[in-house]
Amino acid sequence: MMRLLRVELRRLWARRVTRWACVGILVLAALSTVVAYGTARPPSPQEVAAAEGAYAAELEVWEAEGAEQVADCEASAEAEGATPQEWGCTDMEPRLDWYLPPSQTFVADAGQDPAVFGSESVNTDDPATAAAVQEVRGSVWNGWAGLSSLDDLAMLLLMGALVVGVSFVTAEVNSGSLGMWLTFEPRRQRVYWSKATAAAIGTAPLVVAGFALLVASSYAAFASFGTLGDVTGAVWAEVAAFTGRLVLAGAALAAIGVALGVLFKHAAAAVGVVAVVAWASLAFGYAFGELQRWLPTTALTAWLQGGSVFTVENCTPAADGVFECVPVDHVVTTAQGGLLLLAATVVLTGAAMLVFRWRDVS
Amino acid sequence: MTAPVGGDLAIETRGLRKTYRSVRGRAVGVEGLDLQVPVGGVHGFLGPNGSGKTTTIRMLLGLVRPDRGTATIFGHPVPRRLPEVVGRVGAIVESPKFFPAFSARRNLSLLADAIGTPRSRVDVVLDEVGLTGRARDRYRTYSLGMKQRLAIAATLLKDPDLLIFDEPTNGLDPAGIREIRRTMRSLGDQGKTVLVSSHVLAEVEQIADTVSIVARGRLVASGRVADLLGSGAGSRAVRVRVAPDDVTIATSVLETGGLLVRREHGALLVEGLDDAGAVNRALGERGVWAHELTPLQPDLESVFLGLTQHETPGAPTRGRRRRRGGPPDPPAAREQPSDLATEVGA
Repeated sequence: MMRLLRVELRRLWARRVTRWACVGILVLAALSTVVAYGTARPPSPQEVAAAEGAYAAELEVWEAEGAEQVADCEASAEAEGATPQEWGCTDMEPRLDWYLPPSQTFVADAGQDPAVFGSESVNTDDPATAAAVQEVRGSVWNGWAGLSSLDDLAMLLLMGALVVGVSFVTAEVNSGSLGMWLTFEPRRQRVYWSKATAAAIGTAPLVVAGFALLVASSYAAFASFGTLGDVTGAVWAEVAAFTGRLVLAGAALAAIGVALGVLFKHAAAAVGVVAVVAWASLAFGYAFGELQRWLPTTALTAWLQGGSVFTVENCTPAADGVFECVPVDHVVTTAQGGLLLLAATVVLTGAAMLVFRWRDVS
Repeated sequence: MTAPVGGDLAIETRGLRKTYRSVRGRAVGVEGLDLQVPVGGVHGFLGPNGSGKTTTIRMLLGLVRPDRGTATIFGHPVPRRLPEVVGRVGAIVESPKFFPAFSARRNLSLLADAIGTPRSRVDVVLDEVGLTGRARDRYRTYSLGMKQRLAIAATLLKDPDLLIFDEPTNGLDPAGIREIRRTMRSLGDQGKTVLVSSHVLAEVEQIADTVSIVARGRLVASGRVADLLGSGAGSRAVRVRVAPDDVTIATSVLETGGLLVRREHGALLVEGLDDAGAVNRALGERGVWAHELTPLQPDLESVFLGLTQHETPGAPTRGRRRRRGGPPDPPAAREQPSDLATEVGA
């Protein structure tokens, strides 16, 4: 088994797809750096001067008409049965940062406005859920910062691992070399395990190196402008933990890729199925209500980011027959996401192994 | 059907059956095949396209699972105990298939590593098949002949006792065909067992010691080539030349004697003989003297066609189908030296 695994690892790393994946990672890191340079740059003196001018003008209007605007706001809120806070009537006075061009830091600024940057209020009556929601939304992977944007790019690395896994077996099936291989090693179970394990292990360096490159290039971009923000040891610890989870997810997706490659035999079909499932989950996820917690995209996000929050509209008919909908937050924890990912890997691998064991090879 | 050659068997199948699903029902690939391949020498595995040769080979190698029946290689039941014997078996099924983007050396070194053969053996087998100069080139750049040679090199990595070649000369040029043929014969002469499936009968006839002929998934004949040629499965014939004025009377005499006579390029082709001397006697009794009397020995092709002419390949069927009988076609005969006359007439 170890001999076969070594051979499969050799083959994996000799493949052109793997080499192209390395090139793809370099391109991704380069593009990411370019984008990071664009967002890390602090406002220029001209931009600050223009913003201060606009702010001063708006402040002048506010001093003349602010009280009246607040009164109108409070009246409207009262007419709709809402509190002035809910309508934002208490936060109407202009601030300078509204007029400055947005500028990111590497790590989310603690002073970021939660209403603007996604950490909006928690909608749940359950204190435990509320705490979990707060924790997820307060993670370094949420908010608006250079580091937070890297988790999306990490998803591309995972897709790369999946494609490498798929093509690892479909190329063999389509070239017919699998038949030749089986005349040398007919124990199909061993052959399958060696391929799946090689894909899982072999893509790990790719994922680690890729993510490290993304983090390093982004860090360098922000550091060059002195806009790193508060990068503490806890942030690096979370980056390390994220990398660990990313490697495991990459291994799982590479194994899933091998399984789908065996089941569908064609790379386009296997990757297409994954693409359709991911697109449907992201585009129509809200329609699944509380079932969103079982969606693969939710599970993957939860596993990577240390939890995931999704919101369900809880609608009840009011006395006048009109439905009143209240958003309710739900949390998928890291463990739940990880278990779902593991279950999907085990089920698909089991199915593929059965098929591989019994299918006639042409 | 000729009796199988006795002694130890490299391959034996009993009642091997394989069907495939198709839109029109189940297509029978192999139908109750009983095959025996003796240890040592070259064994031809003949049959028309679609007769089940490749399917049989795939079942022996564990690539395809039989619906029914048993198969053994060197006494080991396969595919159940194939891992125990696979080290003694080298096989090329249909066209060679390697990783197209890898070089010959890398392809072979992966296979060598998989079976624990030292990598130094890769260079040895590449040299044996004359590919050392192109060892670093990608497999996809190889000609068909080179691919075939590389496949043979792969089978030799194991130093196997049994080599299975499925249509090994397909698509090769004459020089390539000759080379592969020589290689197979040489392996057989070394005491290895070579099973070569082919529908190129002349090829098999030249190199095979024994043959099995299959049609529609069933064995229709098996045995030594010489025995099959003398078995009467292909009919015997004689070419007779008489004086031009005697052609009509000679034809009449022979037809009266119950023989089938055809005119061919000024000569008479006489078929349906038990004894070639009978032709001479019959003509002599009527005062007609033959200028030439050439026995035409049936070749493997005529034997093959005689046994398989009514078999159409691979039509789907919903049940067992009996092979239809019928008289063999006139022989696709090949002229033999006259000193073989008694063998033919026997």
